[in-house]
Amino acid sequence: MNTRFAATLAAILLIALPPIDVCAHHSSAMFDKEEVREVTATVREFQWTNPHVWIQVVITNEKAETTEWSIEGLGPNSLFRNGWRPNSFKPGDVIKIRFNPMRDGSNAGGFVGARFADGRTLGNWN
Amino acid sequence: MSVLRMKRKLVALVLLWQIAAPVLAQGLPDWSGVWQRVEGNGGIFDPATVEPPDGRAGSPGVRQRPPLTEAWEARYVATLALVAKDRVPDPISNCGTPAGYPRLLALPDVYEFIVRPETTWIITENGPNIMRIYTDGRDHPPTDELWPTFTGDSVGKWHEGVLSFTTVSMIGEEHTILDRSGLTLSNQAVVATSMSLTDEGLLRADLVIEDPLALSKPWNVTRHFRRMPVGTRAYDYACAENNRNPITDAGQTLTLDTEGNVIDKVIE
Repeated sequence: MNTRFAATLAAILLIALPPIDVCAHHSSAMFDKEEVREVTATVREFQWTNPHVWIQVVITNEKAETTEWSIEGLGPNSLFRNGWRPNSFKPGDVIKIRFNPMRDGSNAGGFVGARFADGRTLGNWN
Repeated sequence: MSVLRMKRKLVALVLLWQIAAPVLAQGLPDWSGVWQRVEGNGGIFDPATVEPPDGRAGSPGVRQRPPLTEAWEARYVATLALVAKDRVPDPISNCGTPAGYPRLLALPDVYEFIVRPETTWIITENGPNIMRIYTDGRDHPPTDELWPTFTGDSVGKWHEGVLSFTTVSMIGEEHTILDRSGLTLSNQAVVATSMSLTDEGLLRADLVIEDPLALSKPWNVTRHFRRMPVGTRAYDYACAENNRNPITDAGQTLTLDTEGNVIDKVIE
């Protein structure tokens, strides 16, 4: 695992959640679906686009260093039918987000779930 | 209700009747609305033979048991070994070509089935794919007017609510796969399909696939679709809009950042 990232993650949890296949369009083998990470992050950008939506989040470690991560979701069509909206994530939102990390330790992952400050959730947050 | 709203409703009903009347008059079934596949498994094509039963297409160790010829079984086994290493790219991941038939019956997202006496269209949101099934009495074109295409050429007929059609001239392994386990057919395949509503309100598709190169005997595959709630919409699926997952020549799926730079730390 990326050591810099590891240092930031006081809130990392390894949670036994059923794997979610975020990829209707391409192979999802790059994601480790056996591992789910949970971090607190700030939304920088939400790309409501085909073939996948992307949540760009910034994570700050205990040394106040920041890294940007790209979290990939399903396509907007199926997500819309499951309650997502084009403005579900807004720049500046501070959220807890769960994702399957990249196997090679890159700053990206497959979306699992998110919890907003007001308690709302999207995806798998059981 | 205002007079204007009543007039609008009346006009809408008249238009709907103008569209529906010819179909209903011929006893054709109501396949209107938006549908979704029942069998999932990550798009596995033949859920009846998948091993293990909950296996997802593209996952290591997951395969199906169609009646492959010895040569195509050997090819499938070799492909499965590459799938286990995530080195079998899905042609549709390049955002340039449709899934083709018969794979288009196993896609995620939603479906629309447009029934007219002379033609039925299958529209898949994912892709998208548009398949035309001619039921006006025509036959397949002569061989010198056919060339392999993604959905091939389909002609058929209606009988007591069942649409039966035959599809030929599909492009096969040159540009399509059946699912991410890497299963393919040749361009010699012929698919006989019957579609009808079940008593439970599902739309059922029974396929009999013959392929002198890939199959040692006919392969029977059944798939189902469930109608989604009234008012459900289908949307554009513009795959190239923001494709941040290009595929390398080695078959590796990459991830790009918002500036188009490769994020992956390991690139073969």
